[in-house]
Amino acid sequence: MEQSFSLTSELRQNRLVIVTSGYINNIGGEAIAKEFDKHFANNVKEIVINLEQSKVVNSIGMSFLLEIIEQLHDVQGKVVFTNMDPAVEKMLTIMGLFEFAGKAANVDDAMRSFS
Amino acid sequence: MQKVVTMKIELPRIPDIELVALEGLDRLSRHMGISEEKVGEARLIVTEAIINGLEHGGDVSPKVDVEFTMTKKELTIFVRDYGKGFEPSTVERPDINKKFGTGHKRGWGLQIMKSMSDDFRIDSNHGGTRITIKKLLS
Repeated sequence: MEQSFSLTSELRQNRLVIVTSGYINNIGGEAIAKEFDKHFANNVKEIVINLEQSKVVNSIGMSFLLEIIEQLHDVQGKVVFTNMDPAVEKMLTIMGLFEFAGKAANVDDAMRSFS
Repeated sequence: MQKVVTMKIELPRIPDIELVALEGLDRLSRHMGISEEKVGEARLIVTEAIINGLEHGGDVSPKVDVEFTMTKKELTIFVRDYGKGFEPSTVERPDINKKFGTGHKRGWGLQIMKSMSDDFRIDSNHGGTRITIKKLLS
């Protein structure tokens, strides 16, 4: 069974890379948003979210990501999702996230997409 | 004769209880020799159906009944709640552009279930809501 949510993050070239693990429900979504907020306050406007270890997500968790996308859109920033399970990618597509966010096969590709 | 497996469970409203249903779905899939990739979308549909039912199921009977019927070719997902029901035709299709600038970013569940399923039926009345979804697996 999918384990509890956790995340790790690091700054690379002033870009925030968040790697999630486990079910992204309301708790997972809120944790991602909090991590983003800490760095957004320090003017970090380019974010990568690696979803490789999150094969189950729900729309409540994803609604927190909409908040992140909106905040970045308002300041000409960008979020790129990587390593998505095909089902998760389809769900985010249905929600229209990729009208405002990018997607990449992996974190390195995402980093290159910013430049 | 086509092999069919069925699983019925009643889930109370407790946090992350939908993961119990997903565990059951995974076990059924393995038993039927169906790969994880083929049930990936089904797992997200089940998750949405259950959290939706538990959220709107009211407090009189805060639970959902879940039933999976699986063959090698398709999965039927049935989820029932015991809430006050709603009129599905009045639910506006969510639009990300309309979500921006508002504090309300939710309301995607029905759209996700409809878009990811191969057949979607909803029957709602004052006694609750029944959702029946078919997902092709082959």
